[in-house]
Amino acid sequence: MAELQKRVEAKGLADVEVKSYMCFGACQEGPNIVLYPEKSWYASVKVDDLDEITDHLAGGPHVQRLDTIDSSLKELIYQLLDTGVF
Amino acid sequence: MEGILFPRGIVEKREDLKDYRLRGGYSALAKAVKKTPDEVIKEISEARLRGRGGAGFPTGKKWSFTRECAEQPHYLVMNGGEDEPGSKKDRLLMEILPHLVIEGVILAAYATGASKAYLYINANYGGAIKSITDALAEAKQAACWGENVLGSNFSLDIEITPAPHNYVAGEDTAALEVIEGKKAWPRQKPPFPVTVGLFGKPTAVNNVETLANAPPILLHGAEWYRGFGTADSSGTMIFSLNEDVNRPGIYELPFGTPLRYLIEECGGGIKGDRKIKAIMPAAPSSAFLGPDKIDTPLDHNSMRDAGSALGCGVVRLVAEGSCIVEEVLKISEFFTAESCGQCPACRMETNTLTSLLKKVQQGQGGQPILEQFGKVLAFNKGKGFCNLIAMPGPPIESALKLFPEDFQAHLTTGKCPAAN
Repeated sequence: MAELQKRVEAKGLADVEVKSYMCFGACQEGPNIVLYPEKSWYASVKVDDLDEITDHLAGGPHVQRLDTIDSSLKELIYQLLDTGVF
Repeated sequence: MEGILFPRGIVEKREDLKDYRLRGGYSALAKAVKKTPDEVIKEISEARLRGRGGAGFPTGKKWSFTRECAEQPHYLVMNGGEDEPGSKKDRLLMEILPHLVIEGVILAAYATGASKAYLYINANYGGAIKSITDALAEAKQAACWGENVLGSNFSLDIEITPAPHNYVAGEDTAALEVIEGKKAWPRQKPPFPVTVGLFGKPTAVNNVETLANAPPILLHGAEWYRGFGTADSSGTMIFSLNEDVNRPGIYELPFGTPLRYLIEECGGGIKGDRKIKAIMPAAPSSAFLGPDKIDTPLDHNSMRDAGSALGCGVVRLVAEGSCIVEEVLKISEFFTAESCGQCPACRMETNTLTSLLKKVQQGQGGQPILEQFGKVLAFNKGKGFCNLIAMPGPPIESALKLFPEDFQAHLTTGKCPAAN
């Protein structure tokens, strides 16, 4: 998480906040990063993947190979995030 | 009221071997070892004995499934983990009626073909462990267990295993893990313990109260036993009332007794001369009932039809003037803390439900937050190794249905209605 924060800062992404979430229910496929409100979920993320993810945040392409989470779980977590209370 | 386990009402004096023999103690065992194990199981099945640990599974079926397994050896586990908040019935049985419990264990072992029984007892129950330990010594001296029980070909070894003091440790497969020397994590089912249990062998895991019912059934017969209770729930059950009522305590009542009798006649009514707002017949995991359901008979089918469950008989009351949001938040926090954490779905569900309830408590999220509870519960239904994942659902969903005004009060004013 500290490394992600560093890379977000290095890229000058001033409108991106890096924060932890209590539980996505997908530890077995972790580490997990959810981009919100963009609604992209990257699973089994390694440090080597962070540049592609921050590129995406900067307007680059979706990292398809890390998009492996079951769609029903994604939908549930996105809805919870949409309530605006987490 | 006459009981089966406590024929002269709940007493506090420990029953030693001499006293137990005066009321026919170990006569059921003497009769049983002259019968075949299948005949013993038949009697238990005809008595319609159901498990008292919460699920109400037919005991005769469980014993029969275990007995039928060709794999050897077989084990019997007495589950005295008893970590349901407010439940003290198993402790009481082990402390006061240790020989009744031990005779039940020996009968179950005989019926299931077990050569070893483990008595899994809450490690905090020092009095119960001592009482059972002393009674085991007396019973062994009397040849009721050990080599050639009462001169028969049946031999049985018995050992006590202290149970860790946490909720999940009382789950049947978590108990098996602890006895095997591992941490109290439930196993994925199937396979069920009756086929693959302790050390991978067929194992019957029975609650203390369930086992205590076996001697009277085998002594007096299934027909006599069915004279207590109802057609679907025969016999008696021990109910626990806590500080919500004027006379907290343990009460043995025939199944089918109205809930009102337990609360008003046994418990002396709700404390503080207040009205009942909600009843939880099987705290902490059953649905709430409104006070209009106070005449519901205390049996499995009637409770199910009323929208709740009987569980292991810990009845809790919520008084008028209390806030149901605060009540379910406490329940949800309990399950979040007690989830063992091995199943991601359970971790996510319990944490999310508690977070949602905290937001409601703080008046955040508005109407959309109320819609999330059902979605989180539905998503996780059937997931997880054990039943803990299904436990927060009934209290939360029934609270939302029966007391929406408490949730609305928090969300619209940000204040707890109980504080007004």
